[in-house]
Amino acid sequence: MSKFDTLSTRVHRHRPEDDGALAVLGVGFSCLLIAFVLFLTGSGLTAVPFLGFLVAAGVGWIAYQPTTAKWLMFLATVVTVMTLGLIVAFIVREAIPAIRMMGVDLLIRTNEPLWGSGTFSLAPMIVGTATTTVIAMTIAAPLGIAGALFLSEIAPSTVREIVKPGIELLAGIPSITYGFIGFVIINGFFDSQLQTPTIGNYFTVGLVIGIMALPTIVTVAEDAISTVPESMKSGSLAVGTTDWQTMKSVTIPAAFSGISAAVLLGVGRAMGETMAATVMIPHTKGFPSPLFDVFGGTGETLTTVIAFEGGNASGTHMSALFAAGVILFLTVLTLSVASQIIESRMQRKLGGKQ
Amino acid sequence: MSDIDMKQTRAESNEQRTTTTVGETEEELQSEWSAYEFDGQTKISVSDLDVYYGSDQALRGVSMDIPEKSVTALIGPSGCGKSTFLRCLNRMNDRVSSARVEGSVTLDGEEIYQDGVNLVELRKRVGMVFQAPNPFPKSIRDNIAYGPRKHGDIDTGLLARLLGDANPEEEEDLIQRSLRQAALWEEVSDRLDDNALGLSGGQQQRLCIARCLAVDPEIILMDEPASALDPIATSKIEDLIESLAQEYTVVVVTHNMQQAARISDQTAVFLTGGELVEYDDTDTIFEDPNSQRVEDYITGKFG
Amino acid sequence: MSTERQTQLVSTQSSIGSRATVAIIGLGLVVFAVSWLALFQWIGGETDVLGVGLFRLLGVCLLFIGVGTGACGFAARSGRIAATPRRSAGLLTGVLFGLLGFLVGGLSGAQTFGLGTAGWLVSAAGIGTAAATAAVFPREELGSTIPPSVFVTFVGAVITAGIIDAGWTWTPVDLSVTLIGPVVVPLLTIVASLIGVWSAAKAHSGFGARGRQSGAFLLISLSILGMLSVLVLLVGFIVVRGLDTVLTDAGVGIGSITVLNIQIPWVDVQIPFLMNVTQGLFVDVNGILPAIVGTLWLVIGAVVFAVPLGIGAAIFLTEYSESERFTQLVEIATNGLWSTPSIVFGLFGLTFLLPRISNNHRSLLGGQLVLGFMLLPLVVITSYEAIKAVPDEFRDASAALGVTRWQTIRSVVLPAAMPGIITGIILGVGRIAGETAPLLFVFPRSTFPSSVPNVLGSFEFSLAPPFVTNEALLSGGSALPYQLYASITSGHVPGQTFTVEQFGWGTAFVLLIVVLALYGIGITTRLYFQRKLQHE
Ligand SMILES: Nc1ncnc2c1ncn2[C@@H]1O[C@H](COP(=O)(O)OP(=O)(O)OP(=O)(O)O)[C@@H](O)[C@H]1O
Ligand SMILES: [Mg+2]
Repeated sequence: MSKFDTLSTRVHRHRPEDDGALAVLGVGFSCLLIAFVLFLTGSGLTAVPFLGFLVAAGVGWIAYQPTTAKWLMFLATVVTVMTLGLIVAFIVREAIPAIRMMGVDLLIRTNEPLWGSGTFSLAPMIVGTATTTVIAMTIAAPLGIAGALFLSEIAPSTVREIVKPGIELLAGIPSITYGFIGFVIINGFFDSQLQTPTIGNYFTVGLVIGIMALPTIVTVAEDAISTVPESMKSGSLAVGTTDWQTMKSVTIPAAFSGISAAVLLGVGRAMGETMAATVMIPHTKGFPSPLFDVFGGTGETLTTVIAFEGGNASGTHMSALFAAGVILFLTVLTLSVASQIIESRMQRKLGGKQ
Repeated sequence: MSDIDMKQTRAESNEQRTTTTVGETEEELQSEWSAYEFDGQTKISVSDLDVYYGSDQALRGVSMDIPEKSVTALIGPSGCGKSTFLRCLNRMNDRVSSARVEGSVTLDGEEIYQDGVNLVELRKRVGMVFQAPNPFPKSIRDNIAYGPRKHGDIDTGLLARLLGDANPEEEEDLIQRSLRQAALWEEVSDRLDDNALGLSGGQQQRLCIARCLAVDPEIILMDEPASALDPIATSKIEDLIESLAQEYTVVVVTHNMQQAARISDQTAVFLTGGELVEYDDTDTIFEDPNSQRVEDYITGKFG
Repeated sequence: MSTERQTQLVSTQSSIGSRATVAIIGLGLVVFAVSWLALFQWIGGETDVLGVGLFRLLGVCLLFIGVGTGACGFAARSGRIAATPRRSAGLLTGVLFGLLGFLVGGLSGAQTFGLGTAGWLVSAAGIGTAAATAAVFPREELGSTIPPSVFVTFVGAVITAGIIDAGWTWTPVDLSVTLIGPVVVPLLTIVASLIGVWSAAKAHSGFGARGRQSGAFLLISLSILGMLSVLVLLVGFIVVRGLDTVLTDAGVGIGSITVLNIQIPWVDVQIPFLMNVTQGLFVDVNGILPAIVGTLWLVIGAVVFAVPLGIGAAIFLTEYSESERFTQLVEIATNGLWSTPSIVFGLFGLTFLLPRISNNHRSLLGGQLVLGFMLLPLVVITSYEAIKAVPDEFRDASAALGVTRWQTIRSVVLPAAMPGIITGIILGVGRIAGETAPLLFVFPRSTFPSSVPNVLGSFEFSLAPPFVTNEALLSGGSALPYQLYASITSGHVPGQTFTVEQFGWGTAFVLLIVVLALYGIGITTRLYFQRKLQHE
């Protein structure tokens, strides 16, 4: 791209068209800004300035295509970033009444009443999310990493060529489908055969979420492992180590950050998983007693409470659900940023050599 | 289909150049290499080696005996199969799923391409140094001790200390000895615990040689070990190779003909298409080669 | 330096040793596979095999495996099996067997002997320590065969003796679950067979580095095999059950259609489940046509909204953005957006979009935009990767001809990146087509719709703002994933033809086909273009 930069400085002499383009685009962007403000206020007149923007963009496209294209694409980038900002702003705004009313109790209140009749404590759901996530990751992390190793290092290439797209395909199965199977088969089995007190519990939910998160972890970890340069592995094998020793002592340590990024991503997936959990969980709020009784009668997570009650809640109740959304969002965002930092560190480490 | 056509035309043009048929060329080659006789013991004996990558043939009927405790240089134009040949000697070609090897390679009379060969044992005896230095992203100490630790010869881990058979002094000795042999000790003795990636290119390459020496191989294969290095680092590596030949059998691929002439005892010339055209004392090859093609190549007429 | 070692390249394994270890591994694999079938209750625990119950037979097999691995260990020790064992089986093995011993000691102490907390703790710690010691201190050939042998034999004995059989139940204190034999026995035999197989595989390769590799690879391969079978099983289950529903009353007949007053014979395919509305007076086979059409419109809307934006942003980032910081910021935002839980998108749509676009009513347009917002980061990420993968030479070559940057992008960069971009879009569409959570609050109108949205026929134009309205876009509907959710949660479905489960399997099947087809197309095109690139 640096080649372009030098080129563009050469080409970008002042030309009269630039003024025209600037004028048209200036009009267009002003219209869009007005449209956006009107849209935010919910005005019915939004369409007027938006039409103005479309006209300006159209004129610009016909008369000054390169400049218009560049600025429209810049606009697209801004919209992408702004989406995140809008999401944060709006769900936080809706959560404020609940935070006002409950204070820190919203997060830590552990005695009855927990939910409803004027008090809303998210503590049970936080415990629920943590519990299901831990169960899911206990299943998905080791199996996922093993799967990634299998695909990239152990399986013969014919097997890999079939299994790898297969696993990606499995990552695409909608979560409601997993939920339906979990609801009909797994919940049913635990209820009728293992006599759990409710239909569905943290264990069955965690189990299904774990199975769901598996393909994602396998795919991402496999990508990380295959970025370890072949020369490094050859170097190890050439001193007479086995493939397994090479994997343990060279490949995995070198890909460690990538693998942990995959696991973090999996954690994020597991925490944010909604539909499968919603149809499987009993929706009773409380704390398992003792805390490790994952088969017990309580079950509700941050996502399930939103999905289950969001449809017909109002007032502080709805606001509390938004607060649950805020907690989820912030946690998952943190995980995402963390995994990106880890990943870029890995790139730098391996990038040091070719 | 078109692939095959192309190969045929290439083969035909080769024929025209040498004005012999392919079959005759091979017979001629046979007589050439078997004419070369050396004094020492044969360490590696290769006969009728064919290597294919998928449907492409990279080596054609290569046969040669490599004497022990000497430097054998492999030269030839790019893509003629030198690396492929080298990688056959420690079976690194097993890593390439499309590669297929036919023929025989024996090490001290024992076939390495038979069922049940222990690759670990083979590669312990036949070490390899790669074209680009490839140290592990670990400390210098861990790099050198890597092989011996994996082979269980040295153990300084928690368990070994628990069981009372940790041998840290032995490790210290080994590291020092290997680094000295690789002419690197003076430069790194005070920073053995630094990351090896912090070394310069030439140092990294000597580190890789030391890593290879630490497992005490009998043969060292080197694939253009100095091609990524500056002249000073290169001459250090060259000195090193000559001194290694006192104790080890060294096979080295190089693009640099002066280098081959300087350091090797015998030289094998591969030409395009993966044939071994001539194999003889280095002096003979460079001063009075048998084959016209080799002479052309060495004098730079074609390559 | 190079001392005259004469290590043999080929270690000749005695044929008896090799055959014995292979036999043990084979037996272990059979036990492993059968145990899974038993766990899924495809084979009952009391099924009569060779005159004994299945569980008892598995127990006997485990006894063989246990005794066999132990024998291998001693044979290797006395040199009757060729081996190059290490000084010890290793710390990790020790820790794992310590934990296993702890579990066995604790559970049998508490369960069988009814010891109190102090009692089972003592027995757990005792057996755990013993197991760890036995694994770590002897030489490897004993350390990695004797503890497994003891464990496998113990499990085999417990099952053979019928201490744990099909009728066995146990309700652990503090856990609200009753463990039953038909579940516990297969689980135990799975674990025991894995451990036995691991030990035998090590012995087969003569312990040492190669033995460890064999053991580890076998374990990893088996667990991946297990995982894959479970996943394939899930899909198979849906297909088998779902097809049943989808094909209800389906038929192929010869019908005819009239074109320009001419009757043309026509193959008339009738699949009521796909062609009927979900609820209606004259509908006897309830179908999911409204949901199918709903999903179609949702996807179209999301694509129209997100694809231009996403590709635009990707082009800007790769070709124009000059600030490293800005690019980084966008990348972080995009990735954050990508990992945002889908239900949060639903909340966002509820509070941000609905009041502004459809007067707080749920609407198709709301659903389209929410899914569009979800699709956006995916399009940005995949297009970004695809455009970045276009070699710089392409751009340089074009720039050298004096072509402007925008023309280069339009005529060189974009065409080259198009396969990657399209693949990314297809995969992204596959993902959003299956999403339920973001739609929950913005789209569904009735649980079981009785009509199909007519988007094309509902456009109305006027001179007053907002100039264009479309009733169908502004009212809610149903989508495939939502339909599945609705039938699960409402607990009934209209009509007499299907039970909730049947209806659910059918819907799940159709949804799966839609999503997997999209994924399949996406992955195949990607493979196709990758291959093509490699061959060039
Ligand atoms: N992994 C592989 N897959 C397919 N073909 C290969 C592979 N490695 C090498 N080849 C082919 O085999 C032939 C010989 O390659 P090789 O690397 O042995 O040549 P070389 O003599 O070492 O060349 P250079 O001097 O450039 O290193 C070449 O035509 C090459 O394209
Ligand atoms: Mg080469």
